Amino acid sequence: MIKFWNKRVKLGVITEKPELEESLKKIRKEIKESVKKKFAGSLAIRMVDSGSCNACEAECNALSNPYFDLERLGIYFVASPRHADVMLLSGVMTFNMTPHVKEAYAQIPAPKWIISIGDCPMMQAPFEKNYAINAPVTEHLEVTHHIAGCPPNPVEIMEGILEFLRKI
Amino acid sequence: MRFIARFCKEKCDCFEIVSIYEEHIEKEEISKESPRIKTLAKKEPSAIWFERKMQDDFGIIIEDAFDKRPLVHQERFPKEIHPLRKEFQESSLQEAPYLQYKYEEIDGDGVFQVAVGPIHAGIIEPGHFQFSQAGEEMLHLEVRHFYKNRGIEKMLEGKTLQDAKPIIERISGNESIAYQICYRDIYLQATKQKLPLALQKRHALLLELERVIHHLTDIGFIPNDAGFGAALSFASKLSEDARRKMNELTGHRFGFGAVSFENSFIDTVSFHEWLDELEKSVEFFEDWIIDIPSLWDRFDTTGILPLKKAVKYASVGVVARASGVATDRRINPFYLEHGFVMASEVSGDVAGRFKVRLQELKNSILMMRNFLEEDDTKLEVTDICDGEYQSFCESSIGELFMAIDIKDGVIERFFVRDPSFMNWQAVHIMMRNDIIADFPLINKSCDLSYAGNDL
Repeated sequence: MIKFWNKRVKLGVITEKPELEESLKKIRKEIKESVKKKFAGSLAIRMVDSGSCNACEAECNALSNPYFDLERLGIYFVASPRHADVMLLSGVMTFNMTPHVKEAYAQIPAPKWIISIGDCPMMQAPFEKNYAINAPVTEHLEVTHHIAGCPPNPVEIMEGILEFLRKI
Repeated sequence: MRFIARFCKEKCDCFEIVSIYEEHIEKEEISKESPRIKTLAKKEPSAIWFERKMQDDFGIIIEDAFDKRPLVHQERFPKEIHPLRKEFQESSLQEAPYLQYKYEEIDGDGVFQVAVGPIHAGIIEPGHFQFSQAGEEMLHLEVRHFYKNRGIEKMLEGKTLQDAKPIIERISGNESIAYQICYRDIYLQATKQKLPLALQKRHALLLELERVIHHLTDIGFIPNDAGFGAALSFASKLSEDARRKMNELTGHRFGFGAVSFENSFIDTVSFHEWLDELEKSVEFFEDWIIDIPSLWDRFDTTGILPLKKAVKYASVGVVARASGVATDRRINPFYLEHGFVMASEVSGDVAGRFKVRLQELKNSILMMRNFLEEDDTKLEVTDICDGEYQSFCESSIGELFMAIDIKDGVIERFFVRDPSFMNWQAVHIMMRNDIIADFPLINKSCDLSYAGNDL
């Protein structure tokens, strides 16, 4: 472990890399304040994939990497819908997933919101409507905010969350 | 004679069942009035999912199958509907009454069932795992997927190859480049053209970069699932750097739309610098992680897939190579000339798969150096000829197989077999000697795709 701590001390904190624009700093500040005010310091998100290609999930995982480190803004991805304030929904709402998505949403305690992420839930991705796809998701659930992109990159997701926080 | 795939095609007056092996192809024609075949699963256990899929998609009756449960169609899917038949043209389905799916379960005193999924406790794709437990010990696991079934095969029918491209590159986000390379090979077969070496090198560079991103993510997540979070922080920084490189090279963080017939400018100097830095970081990582005994206590002898079973289940990719099977689509003169060395381990456990990933990571860095060159070659593509085409590619998970039939200039049948489709069927073997707390670790060590599997 000593090797690791040596490296760790030398490397320092990389989260605020100068190459990431100033705007990102601003977003972070604004998100932090908004989460503090509206969600008493912690916004719990339950990510549900209803048939994506896994790129949106990879980008949400990237939000936890040392560059973005979403958790220090008070935003957490939680393990159960019962712990969540917000459902982050990706994918095309496949026929097979639709009942499970609805069930997960029903288990989130009110007040609750849905943020859709990526082009799939709104049927703006290249996928075409067919028998196996129930998208757009707006026909099944009420979506408060949509984060567009195929997939949206981590900064866009952070911006999207900020816009959502401004909305409510 | 490794089994690769088995799928059905609808012809004018019959169904054609195609079985692909490593060295030959078997075709069988059956009548539409009574579509019956004999199972292959007695010889090739991993044929079972292909046959159950055929049964759902085309209504083929597998006469002597021991498992006739639906695979793709779930509890609420309307009965007697076979969506891949040409006559089926509906664009939406009505939910049918709920019909319970009977899981493979072990009964006995004190034996209980644990149902996990389809929505899991992390940022991960949906799929279901049904465990039969005796206390902590896993007696049996049934993997049940196809929650993400998007009907890709049907969606692509009737499209030209050009129109199909944006969909094909989005089948599985983590393997996008591999899918695009399979597609590229089929495109070139259809236009009867040869790929210039410079383009081949650029595409191979992107494929290795994709592999590096995937493996970097995994070497962080595998220790994280054993409770060692520092590795995840370290590796996720590296994988983010690699993803930004992909963005720099292709204009997209996942490389969607990156494999084209025209090379664009890349900054080789900064790329070489990044590769040097990455190599040092990976060396540091290996040196550090190898020294943590509590981690290897969890890795060693966990989730063993014995060589015999890996061969029997026709496993591919990282999973197969960690069990001592020498299978890699990159064993060819082009890759060997550019420094390819096949990674291999014999232990077949989580540690084996972890080490294979580390070896491949280092080898990919070496190969990327050899593939890297400034170049602006462009290939003018010609018209597409009708025919039946097949191609292979080694994605970051394993061997990817794609088959496209073109008739009258449009896709008549699209079939793709993701490496995950084979490996998911071998996952239950790995659970035999372990406790349920090891399952996430074993699952992550294979890191299979759900989206590519479910289509």
